[in-house]
Amino acid sequence: MPLRRHGQISTTNLKQRFFLWSTLILIGGGLLLSVLSFWNTRRLLMAEAMAKSEVILQEVEAIRSYVKEELRPKMNELHGPDTFIIEAMSTTYISTTIMERFAQSMPNYIYRRASLNPHNPRNLADSFEEEMFDWFEADSGRSFWQGVVKKNGEAFFVSMVPDYFAAPCLPCHSKVEDAPQSLIDRYGPKGGFRFQAGDLAGIDSVAIPVSASLREAWQGSFVIFIITLGGSFVLLWLLNLLFQHLVIERLGVMLSLVAEKKRETSVPGPGDELDVLHASLGSLHSYVRSARKGAALQPNFIGDYVVRQPIVAGAMSWLYSAYSVRSEDKVALKIGFAEVLQNPLYRSCLDTELQLFETMSHPCLPRVRERLDDVLVLEEVSGRSLSSLLSKGRLADQLLLPIFSQLCDLTASLHAAGIVHHDLRPQILMLDEKGLLRLIDMGLAASDQLPDPIVAAGLGPQGDLVYMAPELIQGKRGDPRSDIYGLGVLLFLAMTGHLPFSEERKSSQNWLQHKEQMIPPKKYRAGLSAGLEQVILKALSFERKKRYQWVEDLWEDLEQAGKQIKEKND
Amino acid sequence: MRLLVFSDIHGNLEALQCMLRDAADRNVHRSICLGDLVGYGPYPNECIELLRGLKNCRCLAGNHDVAVLWETSPYGMSSAANEAILWTMEQLTAENKAYLAALPDRLDVADMTFVHANPYNPRGWRYVLDRKYALRSFAATRCRCLFIGHSHRPLLITRKSLLTIDLQAVSASMRYRVDDTRRRIINCGSVGQPRDNDPRSCYLIFDSRKQEIEFHRVAYDIEKSVKAFHSAGLPPELGARLFKGV
Repeated sequence: MPLRRHGQISTTNLKQRFFLWSTLILIGGGLLLSVLSFWNTRRLLMAEAMAKSEVILQEVEAIRSYVKEELRPKMNELHGPDTFIIEAMSTTYISTTIMERFAQSMPNYIYRRASLNPHNPRNLADSFEEEMFDWFEADSGRSFWQGVVKKNGEAFFVSMVPDYFAAPCLPCHSKVEDAPQSLIDRYGPKGGFRFQAGDLAGIDSVAIPVSASLREAWQGSFVIFIITLGGSFVLLWLLNLLFQHLVIERLGVMLSLVAEKKRETSVPGPGDELDVLHASLGSLHSYVRSARKGAALQPNFIGDYVVRQPIVAGAMSWLYSAYSVRSEDKVALKIGFAEVLQNPLYRSCLDTELQLFETMSHPCLPRVRERLDDVLVLEEVSGRSLSSLLSKGRLADQLLLPIFSQLCDLTASLHAAGIVHHDLRPQILMLDEKGLLRLIDMGLAASDQLPDPIVAAGLGPQGDLVYMAPELIQGKRGDPRSDIYGLGVLLFLAMTGHLPFSEERKSSQNWLQHKEQMIPPKKYRAGLSAGLEQVILKALSFERKKRYQWVEDLWEDLEQAGKQIKEKND
Repeated sequence: MRLLVFSDIHGNLEALQCMLRDAADRNVHRSICLGDLVGYGPYPNECIELLRGLKNCRCLAGNHDVAVLWETSPYGMSSAANEAILWTMEQLTAENKAYLAALPDRLDVADMTFVHANPYNPRGWRYVLDRKYALRSFAATRCRCLFIGHSHRPLLITRKSLLTIDLQAVSASMRYRVDDTRRRIINCGSVGQPRDNDPRSCYLIFDSRKQEIEFHRVAYDIEKSVKAFHSAGLPPELGARLFKGV
């Protein structure tokens, strides 16, 4: 068989999902990578600037201490104690002048000595430096500060150390009268005086511009992002080729095998290819099981009965058509699944079911002819199941009341006898040519006179979650109102041709949510009468208290609503 | 949903048939018989078979039903009753005995409980006619409506508070609304041998939509029943009491 491209078979849902998520993951990864790289570069830049500024500050400090301790005493010695030559004796003047020369060749290192009350007005502190004065004065233990400062739109990395007055500084900084004449000549008598020993003299700071470097770091990380993005798309494209070749095409072929029949009749359902495949394999599995069972039994006899093909699978057992060798009467045989017969828990469910079939009598329950150990011989069950009837869409209006009158009557009889069915669904309801409805399975039923093995064993919800009442999903069994919910789902299905919830596979918690927010029946059938809609909505109430409490009430309301429609049509 | 509740037929087929005909005209969906299908009367098998064939009907075991199976001793009853039990034991078919043996002592349906005599000791067969036993019955159940029989006297007991009750004798056909949350014990009287000085059969219908209990009395051909007592050779006082309703 030639490979068919997958796209021709159904939507490329799986591929789209895979690539959407991969793209998101890769873009997210690229973003993360570039942010990390920027952060790292910035960290390195800061560390470097810190080291550099510290070197410069230490250098300035060394110059100042040299002037203070070597040069100034030497000059005093040579020229007498009262001389003051600014160019050779002022620490501030010498250090700033040296650093100005230094800055001529290295313009990226800006040295400043700022003071609130300087001799030289050039050294007056700006507003930021004033703040720093306050910060240093607040705690004399503070001897160093580093940080990023924005000035004129540009970022600088700044290191600062405070400088305090000592005794040798005081001749020039305490009283104007004591100050050397050369100092007053140069700067005037206004600034730089009236200090005492221990006062904060000034702040030495070194600023290194970092804006340009940060910009470069940004650019670098952007480049990294772009490269990752490009690389990702190339990678995705390659993966796409690989995925298409290795998975999608083969999956497509598999799908075309299993979905061959379905494609003609039904529209593609929700879920991707794997969901479709899962559903198909599920039905295939049950078919194989039935075929194997059928094949094993086919030439076989059970008692006087020749077993023929299976009719339908119930919760615990198969129903086979068969005929009697003696009288050639057609019959139906109820035979437990092999796994049920092996499991004592399910075995007791099956026993309950067989017992209920034997004790209950109702026109809608096939009569029991005899019981052969585990096998129940029932009268012939002909016709087709409600599910095959409903697979084409909603039920014809003239069939609705006859079918539901039988169904409600049967359910009422079960409830009146203390039996809750728990598993009303269209697959196990057969309608024959005369319009007689038959319930052919009670595998999950519980009677108030018999112990319920499912409750005793604490098993979770059993049966089909679609038709199951919310309290059954929560594991509460034995309430007749659960069957009323099941009838509500059947009613919804029969009147609209759709289920009240989407059939997607989901967890039981999810199912509860869906059951709470069911789709209103008007969505599928706009012309539905208000009376019928009310009946459906009440039967499908999430809370048991709000539901119909008795099947008879449901039937009376349904009959009345149905009659009104008929009268209107007539 | 309309639920028919009746009790204490005691093999009185004529009364049972008239009662069921009357109830059928009143549109009932389900029936519950609170026991004592047999004993006293001349038609035990026929009554059992009639009820077995009745659609959506369940029965409970009464003291006479278990006495004919020797599950309680018939010698504790009055001599006439004892004689009738021994007679019934001979008459019952094996199939009907098996049916009686499978009857439950108590049923719980929605917010209702059904027992033959009382819920706190179902096989003790004590009558619930006064405050003491009514309070015990309330304590032994959690249902809103408790339906009992056994005493052959229709009666409505309403719990007013934790320790006070209201006893209401039911005479003739009456309706009671039960749409509040108060708990009640309802005795449905007897079909086959009423003892409240009214010889007519008594039964009740519970209407779940209207939340209403309807007591009904049905007259039947007592002469015909008494003749059957005589031809069956049962003690004559059992027939005679039917005329008086005691």
